[in-house]
Amino acid sequence: MHIDPLERRWIILTLVLMLAITGVLLGYAIAANLHPPSNVETIDSTRLHLTPEFAEDKLGVAKNPDGTLTVTMVAGRYGFYPQHVEVPVATPVTFRIASADVLHGVHVPLTNLSTMIVPGYVSEVTTLFEKTGEYPLLCNEYCGLGHDHMWSRLTVISPQ
Amino acid sequence: MNTPPGRDPERLGAAPGDVKPLREAPPIGVQHAQAERLLKAWKTPQGWRYWSAVNNSQVGLWYTAAAFAFFLFGGILALLMRTQLAVPGNDFLSADFYNQIFTLHGSVMMFLFAVPLFEAFSIFLLPQMLGARDLPFPRLSAFGFWSFLLGGTFVCGSLFFNAAPQGGWFMYPPLSSQYQPGIGNDIWLLGLSFIELAAIAAAVEIIVGVLKTRSPGMRINLMPLYAWYILVVAGMILFAFPPLIAGDILLELERLLHWPFFDPDRGGDPLLWQHLFWIFGHPEVYIVFLPAIALVAMMVPTFARTPMVGYGWIVLAAVGTGFLSFGLWVHHMFTTGLPGISLALFSAASEAVAIPTGVQLFCFIATLLAGRVVRSVPLLFVFGGLAVFVLGGLTGVMVALVPFDFQAHDTYFIVAHLHYVLVGGAVFPVIAGFYYFFPLVGGKKLSDRLGRITFWLLFIGFNVTFLPMHLSGLLGMPRRVFTYAPNLGFDGLNLISSIGAFILAAGFAVFVWDVLRPKGKQPYAQRNPWGAGTLEWTAEMPDKPWGIRSIPEIDGRYPLWDQPNILRDIDEGRFYLPDAEEGKRETLITTSVDAQPIQCLRVPGPTWLTLFAALFTGGLFIFATFHLWWVAVASGVLAFAIIIAWLWTGTALIPEKEEKNVGLGLRLPLYRSGPESVGWWAMFITMLADMTAFAGLVFGYFFYWTIHDDFPPDPSPAPSLFGLMLLGAVLLLGSWGLTVLVRRWNQGDRRAAFYGGLPVAVALAVAGGATLLAGPWHAGLDPVSHVYPAMVWLLVLWTVLHVAVGVIMQGYCLAQRLAGRMTARYDIEIRNVTLYWHFVALTVAITVAVIAGFPLVA
Repeated sequence: MHIDPLERRWIILTLVLMLAITGVLLGYAIAANLHPPSNVETIDSTRLHLTPEFAEDKLGVAKNPDGTLTVTMVAGRYGFYPQHVEVPVATPVTFRIASADVLHGVHVPLTNLSTMIVPGYVSEVTTLFEKTGEYPLLCNEYCGLGHDHMWSRLTVISPQ
Repeated sequence: MNTPPGRDPERLGAAPGDVKPLREAPPIGVQHAQAERLLKAWKTPQGWRYWSAVNNSQVGLWYTAAAFAFFLFGGILALLMRTQLAVPGNDFLSADFYNQIFTLHGSVMMFLFAVPLFEAFSIFLLPQMLGARDLPFPRLSAFGFWSFLLGGTFVCGSLFFNAAPQGGWFMYPPLSSQYQPGIGNDIWLLGLSFIELAAIAAAVEIIVGVLKTRSPGMRINLMPLYAWYILVVAGMILFAFPPLIAGDILLELERLLHWPFFDPDRGGDPLLWQHLFWIFGHPEVYIVFLPAIALVAMMVPTFARTPMVGYGWIVLAAVGTGFLSFGLWVHHMFTTGLPGISLALFSAASEAVAIPTGVQLFCFIATLLAGRVVRSVPLLFVFGGLAVFVLGGLTGVMVALVPFDFQAHDTYFIVAHLHYVLVGGAVFPVIAGFYYFFPLVGGKKLSDRLGRITFWLLFIGFNVTFLPMHLSGLLGMPRRVFTYAPNLGFDGLNLISSIGAFILAAGFAVFVWDVLRPKGKQPYAQRNPWGAGTLEWTAEMPDKPWGIRSIPEIDGRYPLWDQPNILRDIDEGRFYLPDAEEGKRETLITTSVDAQPIQCLRVPGPTWLTLFAALFTGGLFIFATFHLWWVAVASGVLAFAIIIAWLWTGTALIPEKEEKNVGLGLRLPLYRSGPESVGWWAMFITMLADMTAFAGLVFGYFFYWTIHDDFPPDPSPAPSLFGLMLLGAVLLLGSWGLTVLVRRWNQGDRRAAFYGGLPVAVALAVAGGATLLAGPWHAGLDPVSHVYPAMVWLLVLWTVLHVAVGVIMQGYCLAQRLAGRMTARYDIEIRNVTLYWHFVALTVAITVAVIAGFPLVA
């Protein structure tokens, strides 16, 4: 098969670029252990309030022994509980959220906190807020009539 | 002398391209007589009978008009939404109504415009491009169209009764199953399932049409690129729509009978719907995009005045896109919490699909560089569309990256992305197609001046509307909110979007005026007005109903450019089938790869049966939505009776003679059965779609099994199912084996064996079906209690339904032979029924293996 020399150079250049990009991605994934959030964990959503983790008085911010935080939340039409969360800046925070009814989503604009909340599953995502301030914590998965006003407040404070 | 049908000895083995048109034109008197007979055979019914027409040019036209009307309806819904969102805290629409509108906007644009419009264009254009008189199953096209019109009107009309679906075009349960009790979502599920069936019917028609009705000599590597694209797309429909139909069945069963497929409280899983929906939903994007780009692939060479550069590359890219598109669906579900490995895989596949898309665009650019470009309105729309599409493609590469997607997911950034892709990749090319192909409709061109005004209004309006949405999305504005709070930074951007929407609407208004304005005084366009090279431009202005005057022998990709005098030779009837001696509608059937003529196919003419069949089939779905069970059943029975009448009177008719002279020394048989008949192909293709839907259900079974510990529940009820299921399988496989034997006996004209065997096969099938049903019944499985028994019942019911249809088919063959309409020689029916039963046997085997066998080994 005849390939024009110019075309051949372009093909080689493209292949090299593709290999380089793939290499960078693989390198970071393996060497720096950088991965997108992922969690497959099922839960009985009818008995959510009876579980040790998602019982009403257990929701909110909890400090782990290693200094990181865990925020436990329940999403239900049309709100997130608790309705106000306060976390310190520059600290790893793990959100664990379950849905009491339909599909919800959670998104904090201008940060990388986002996950879908599927009934029957526990969603888990870890992040770290770099700037202090007030953020809306929005539902971004259509959940019915009140979808537009389903949001809580997230306050990121400086650690004194 | 008893020569086999085919070319006469001196032409036998003639290589493609060697066959030349008649050296001398027939005398002018003969030409006139031929033309008159052809016109009479292909005459479009007049007056109110016009609506009984089934010819592709009529059905294609109606189809296009209806799909475009739905597009305008969807557009008006979009305007209402943009008006509501123009300012924060607006109360122009209620949340309830807004939810209905955004659900309908998405559903209408996808199911009632984008997919049907390409079917419409294909039904209208394909026969012309391939040099055929009609597609092989014109009545099926008509049935599909009427079904589509009825289903679409039903779904859209629900809005005027405040009863429209409001679960979103994605219908995610459990919101759509348990929390929205009105009939809106049932309308969506039943109405659109009905339309999906029509889409599959069109896909069958298109695949058989492209593979079997090409002009002699138009080998598969010579056919127009449009045909290639449409072949790929029709293949994709076969494998993409059935999973959605499977999902629709699950969701409707949950809504209607409370079978808990998506209810996490009873072992169900909402994620299964998302998988089934997006296995359909992502290929759907390419099902919309590829036909539009196919139009571009027809226009670019015309206006570049040179053949397409890289024909082979484009075909490979189209096929590659088709394959890859089935490996992308999870990128709609990145944030659901999936295993990391699948995120990586689907992200990579989503990036990779940019490559074949890029190949196609570069081929177009290369063609334009290689040729001398002629400026025109269609080309303007092509350029505008490609520019917009490339922007959408680039944001697509962005959201294919998982970390970025987490921040853009379900924000207006996605709204911007998908509109750039679909409007650039489909709407602009379709408008270009309207301007380009419009002369084929009534012989007159659309206005160049209005066309340019339309273009600039659309192009500017579109970008003003959707460019700001990238920003509002990045600022975090979530989708599907009916209003938003002030001071979040969304206000100004939304106002700009809303203004843009009205500019866009003005553009469409000008376009609609251009199409509808009276053109009485405008002269007819000259023939082949754009100077194109492909066969559809052999049409006269205005066109005659016969499709093509005589069917040419083709030896190049651009016959009008490559073959000297081809127009004259076609017009003077120097090619095949220049006449309709018997007054029948006829077209040539050729082999699928080399396009060697093998049959002269008689296609059916006008009928009311298809309209009424669609009407009553629709009635079945519509009355069922309102729980009017007896009316629904009555409507279903009527539909069934009409379809039987349609098959009985209109299909596999025994011709009055064995073969006929089609011209140029070629004699072809009028009847072929088995794998050489178009009906066999249609059955095979339909059953591929059917098996895909079944595979969707089986996928559901294994999905539950992989994710949930209580599936199947402990202790497994499988052992108590085992005996009856196995017995049922044995009986049904017996019926299948006997059907195969009966086909052989019929072929050998062994009447006693035929009449003895077929009733036994029927009895075995009935007994087998009943035994299968007895299985879960005997085991006391209650489908409402848990997803496992529901899944078992569903698989059994699916199988039994197929057996029931198989029994009807066996009975039909018996009746056909008794009535003398089927003989040892003319045996299409029993051959197709046997083919159907092969698939039933497979379904039975899989169902029994999954239900009774799998739990024992798992």
